[in-house]
Amino acid sequence: MDAVIRTEKLTKTFGSSRALSSLSLQVAPGEVFGYLGPNGAGKTTTIRLLLGMIRATSGRAEIFGVDCQRHPAVAHRRAAFVPGEASLWPSLTGEETLHLLGRVHGHVDAAYRDVLIDRFDLDPAKRVRAYSKGNRQKVLLIAGLMTRADLLLLDEPTSGLDPLMEQAFRHCVAEARERGQTVFLSSHVLSEVEALADRVAILRAGHLVEIGSLAQMRHLSALSIDAGFDSAPPDLSRVPGVTAVEVQGNRVRCQVSGSINPLLHVLTGAGVRKLISREPSLEELFLAYYGQADTPREVPGAA
Amino acid sequence: MPPEAGGGHQAARAVAMATARRAMRSAALWGLVFGGYVAYAALQFSAAYPTPASRAKVASELGGNPGLVALFGQGQRLGTVAGFTAWRVMGVLTLLGGVWGMLTATRLTRGEEEAGRWELFLTGQTTRQRAAAQAIAGLAAGLVTLWAITAVITVAAGSAPRVHFPVTGSLVLAVCVTAGAAEFLAVGMLAGQLFSARRQANAFAAAVLGACFLIRVVADSASSLRWLRWASPLGWAEQLRPLTSPDALPLLPIAGLVVVLAAASIALAGRRDLGGATIITRDSAAAHTRLLNAPGGLAVRLSRPAMIGWCAGLAVVGLTGGLVAKSAANAISGSVAIKQVIGRLGGHTGSATYLGIVFLVAAALVCVAAAGQIAATRDEEAEGHIDHLVARRVGRLRWLAGRVLAGVALIIAASLAAGVAGWAGEAADHTGLSFVQLLKAGVNIAPPALFVLGVGILAYGWWPRFAATAVYGLVAWSFMIELIAAIITNRWLADTSVLHHINPVPAADPDWNSATWLVGLAIAAAAVGGAGFKSRDLASA
Repeated sequence: MDAVIRTEKLTKTFGSSRALSSLSLQVAPGEVFGYLGPNGAGKTTTIRLLLGMIRATSGRAEIFGVDCQRHPAVAHRRAAFVPGEASLWPSLTGEETLHLLGRVHGHVDAAYRDVLIDRFDLDPAKRVRAYSKGNRQKVLLIAGLMTRADLLLLDEPTSGLDPLMEQAFRHCVAEARERGQTVFLSSHVLSEVEALADRVAILRAGHLVEIGSLAQMRHLSALSIDAGFDSAPPDLSRVPGVTAVEVQGNRVRCQVSGSINPLLHVLTGAGVRKLISREPSLEELFLAYYGQADTPREVPGAA
Repeated sequence: MPPEAGGGHQAARAVAMATARRAMRSAALWGLVFGGYVAYAALQFSAAYPTPASRAKVASELGGNPGLVALFGQGQRLGTVAGFTAWRVMGVLTLLGGVWGMLTATRLTRGEEEAGRWELFLTGQTTRQRAAAQAIAGLAAGLVTLWAITAVITVAAGSAPRVHFPVTGSLVLAVCVTAGAAEFLAVGMLAGQLFSARRQANAFAAAVLGACFLIRVVADSASSLRWLRWASPLGWAEQLRPLTSPDALPLLPIAGLVVVLAAASIALAGRRDLGGATIITRDSAAAHTRLLNAPGGLAVRLSRPAMIGWCAGLAVVGLTGGLVAKSAANAISGSVAIKQVIGRLGGHTGSATYLGIVFLVAAALVCVAAAGQIAATRDEEAEGHIDHLVARRVGRLRWLAGRVLAGVALIIAASLAAGVAGWAGEAADHTGLSFVQLLKAGVNIAPPALFVLGVGILAYGWWPRFAATAVYGLVAWSFMIELIAAIITNRWLADTSVLHHINPVPAADPDWNSATWLVGLAIAAAAVGGAGFKSRDLASA
């Protein structure tokens, strides 16, 4: 089956600054695609290009095979969008807003809308101007989810939501996946992407730096090692692949990338008593890319 | 004094400083405009009419025109440079100052609060009352700046030998022309305390300003109604009569009004929540979804309050104009040379001449309504509201078409409201003009506003950031040109006013040819604007 989202060398410059640089990616039907990057990396620019709100400097973007730039209204027929900036018409009530957004979208699952209103605990009779930021965000989430659209484009959808509501949101995304909907989830909440996404793309300063499943990305990164000894630990700083060595009394902590064998050899030779090794969280993965923005980035172990 | 209290004072001073800085910057600019206009009026009159005979002639001509008297107020000793200048600048500048004062006050108080900037100041020991008092001090600094710059330029122009104003007279004239600004800074400040949104505060203050202006116009329309001037704050300034026979008495109500409104603002500030309003609008409402099925319906729904407000406002303008038309005409029936004064007014009755000017004001107001629609359209994009629509199945042009049609509907409805209400007013007084004549007068004021709307769409399509400034600028410029049209001789300059291209119906027949041109150009401009809007990036939310 064809890709739901396809971009080819999609590029956007604002004046002299390049917001997005030659982005090529594909999102397959039915997958939850995590789109990660710090603020200003180009996540929102990508989504606004997909929505035809801004014009590409060069390259192509398609949703369900329809050119988003040339025929945005057609391309959006099977897509729903949830922005992260919760700006709505202040004079309309929540119910009026949902009615309007449903009508201009075309299709609404009314029963599911009521479930969502209940699940997110929204009072739809209130005017938007009386809502908190979190409540406005709920209106937008419900408006997007209630369409049961084949593609959900979510741009930092949980900003302003409390943890309970974030839980409800995750439940909704899981439901969408079960129904075969495709989800494009832009976020900088790493745990959210970690919990939901099948595949992840990492964006930095307008460039796609990594794309793949989390499993594929982990092998690129360092493993965290915490080892305990009866006496002073051996010197690990010269072991191939080992970085960030930290000694605390009889304990040593370090990161290792590539093959772990040389390190294990040294540790067992020195009579290690206790060994903890751990896969890095997405948080740490992220830090490997963005931790020191001003120093040249090294992808540990990248062959 | 405990240290926290000291910090609080500092924070309150920060409100005063921030307010003063921005108020003074704006006031400096407008001081140049005010002073420049006074200097222009004085120097131009003294140069164009050098002899006492020529001055006496123009004085009797202009001073005898009921429409001009209604617009500018009752003049004194118009045959002198001093009397003519005072008459020429007072009405215009008190009104302009009123607009400036109201917009500045709401922007720097409620606007700042709405944007969340006051929260930073008010986290310490500062009370809302103290912050409001400091904001008033900041606005006062702006007012003093406005007065000082106006005064300096007036004194300078007054020292020219052929003008020759006494220095104290110049200083008093500067007080008079800035009186409207003082009054409406206070009205704007109070409005900012009453409502939670700057837009609501502006609408309220604008309604007060409109009512005051209308009362003053009515009061100056007929000598039997002169007493009404005391009912309008804009009428008080008129009676200070600087340069001719100064009377300090009206300073009392002016100062009194400012003090009372400022004190009320401070009191109200203490009684409400930060970000809250004194007048609480209901938070919940039953859903009315009849209009909310398509972008066009949404545009109508969103501009409905503006539509109702403008139609009501123009109906009031038309009705009062119609009601006083006959007495205004009778008051000057003895006057000699009205026909040749403003040639384009033609040989019609005094009532028709008077109503021609009333409808010129109405035309300017409908243009302001059109400009407001452009500003609202731009806001829809800047606020990110349009994103929710174009991300769904609404094409950009379909959305824009909805906004344009709502604007066109507003313009036509408001124009017709002025015409029909004008007929109702003059018919009640048996003035003798027909329904069709007044209906034509209403229809006649729509084309300039449609032109403003078209040009606004053009600007919005290509340069959205400047669209609102451009259209409001065009309308303000046009109205200024119309106000000074009687003393400008440059045809090209007069033609830059969009209001100059309509005839003063019912004193003349509508110029259908020119109306067709205005509407045609508006459609062309809107089409070009639509092309720009389709191809450009939408502003980020």
